[in-house]
Amino acid sequence: MHVLTRLGRGSAKGLAMTYLSLIVLIPLAALLTNAFNQGLGSFWAAVTQQESIDALRLTLTCALVASAINAVAGLATAWVLVRDRFVGQAILNSIIDLPFALPTVVAGVTFYTLYGPLSPFHVNITGTWIGITVAIMFVTLPFTVRSVQPVLESFTFNAESAAATLGASPARVFRTITLPALMPALLTGTGLAFARAIGEYGSVVFISNNLPYRSEVASSYIYSLTTSNQTNSAAAVAVALLIIALILLIFFNVLSQRLARRSA
Amino acid sequence: MHSRPSKWFRLAVVGTAAALPLTMLSLEPAQAATTNVSVVGYSVVGPAFTALETDFKATPAGQNVTFTNSFGASDTETNNLVKGQSADLVNLSYEPNMATLVTYNKIPANWANQERTIGGVNAALRGKRQVTVYHTPGIVTDSVVVFIVRPGNPLGITNWGDLAKSGVQVVTPNPVTSGSARWNLLAGYSAQISLGRTPNEGQDYLKALISNTIAQPVSGSAALAAFVGGTGNVLLDYEDDALAAVAAGDKIQIVTPPQTLLIENPIAVTDLGLTDPAAVAFYKFLFSTAGQTALAGLGYRSVLKSVWTSTESKFTSFKKPTDLLTVEALSGWTNLNTEFFSPNVVFPSGNTTYPTQGIVTYLEKFAGSTS
Repeated sequence: MHVLTRLGRGSAKGLAMTYLSLIVLIPLAALLTNAFNQGLGSFWAAVTQQESIDALRLTLTCALVASAINAVAGLATAWVLVRDRFVGQAILNSIIDLPFALPTVVAGVTFYTLYGPLSPFHVNITGTWIGITVAIMFVTLPFTVRSVQPVLESFTFNAESAAATLGASPARVFRTITLPALMPALLTGTGLAFARAIGEYGSVVFISNNLPYRSEVASSYIYSLTTSNQTNSAAAVAVALLIIALILLIFFNVLSQRLARRSA
Repeated sequence: MHSRPSKWFRLAVVGTAAALPLTMLSLEPAQAATTNVSVVGYSVVGPAFTALETDFKATPAGQNVTFTNSFGASDTETNNLVKGQSADLVNLSYEPNMATLVTYNKIPANWANQERTIGGVNAALRGKRQVTVYHTPGIVTDSVVVFIVRPGNPLGITNWGDLAKSGVQVVTPNPVTSGSARWNLLAGYSAQISLGRTPNEGQDYLKALISNTIAQPVSGSAALAAFVGGTGNVLLDYEDDALAAVAAGDKIQIVTPPQTLLIENPIAVTDLGLTDPAAVAFYKFLFSTAGQTALAGLGYRSVLKSVWTSTESKFTSFKKPTDLLTVEALSGWTNLNTEFFSPNVVFPSGNTTYPTQGIVTYLEKFAGSTS
């Protein structure tokens, strides 16, 4: 039994490592090789091209704003889904995941029709950073909702009721009891949403109007570099994007671990 | 609990297994094996190929031939071909893509001669063979760069000068990813040359045109979608694409400027395709009177003189031959590509007004810095 467990653990490790290598590590290594095989100077030159800087700045701004808004909106959505009871709640709960299932290009075209030049609401956000941000918000919403929701579901009311009994206002209960407990999950979800947002292509490339130096997102700039045979530059900009994502993910992770320890 | 679904499941599996040999049988008719021709082309030509493939299948040579198609932004498709996507026939937006395929040994170096050796077309004005309108070999369709405007042409746009006026919003695809974008920008430049202006004045014009550009979607098809979706006052487009959009019922209006550029789209049977008689036969069909008449019906200007003469009245004509310049008359694709679209911007020594390399790249950056 003991041997079998160990054998099982060993083969599981083997499977995980093989899988990770094929799907993640080897492609990442290839990307890094492409980005740096002309030397560090070329890498830096590719990343600091004006068009690259403009695209990276726009992408990061939109991704940050979108994930910040989704952190608040996602928390509210999860709250409503767990704590409230209303007609159509089950349906709403299933709809949350649809942005993942919908091809992002379809999402982009839909937003273009609804909030574009021919908008039935007379709202035109195409070609602006707001348009890009809204498209990203749609694509990444499930991340925040789905990370907060299970924590909120397993959360017992004891501490909250105790605080309320002792005279704390609902706002104070939320701020001092509920939010700290939810914070680690919320940060993880927001980090995932941000990482997903900076790589987004399909939903934003149409709504952005794709003007180089003006409204071109990083993924579209990388795409244009690959089609014009500048593979190394494309890899360099992609790696720059990955490094920024990694730094932010680590930051979010550390922060959420700190908070988890403190609230425990 | 789960015996019921599993019964249905088993039934479905058995049913599928039984049906499989039957489908395989019906796919393999007794008289002849089918051959497949894979076509790779630039985004806009897709629907035309679908129609021509149907026409071809109705001919004796097209019996039992099937097609697989891949259409997208010309540079992207070229890149995919270089990276190993297989194709029997390639129809790309512009000649430099063909040069790339020659470099990577995908098509023969003398691909343009296939028009004569396979297509039976003769550029010279003699002999029994069919004669081309323009003397550019390897070109299967001609078109021109036109403007698409809103119904009723509310801004009264008639010529290239109107596009440079302040407040006019222009849509044209991104020249890095789209072949049609390159044709469009060069057409604006060539119109200035047609009007007797200097190359420097032509570049002044491009500067104004690019700063009036409000959207650069990734391909010609995406640009049309953005325009139909309400973006901009003017869209630069291939005449054939514009005619197809009108035929499809889009609420747009075509304006053919008095001066513009002749678009010439190259075609070739690949090294792989040369081993497939069906691919060769399809190429031949595209250059035949039947194929070219079908293309003319789809809005392309025929490359065969006989077909052009009989369909000419459908298209807007130009007053002088110099009103419709060819790329060859400007300085050829090799030079133009470097001069206008090189990603590296190079200025001549002592002059910093316009670069000698990467003019469009420079102007895009300039437009970005002033917006």
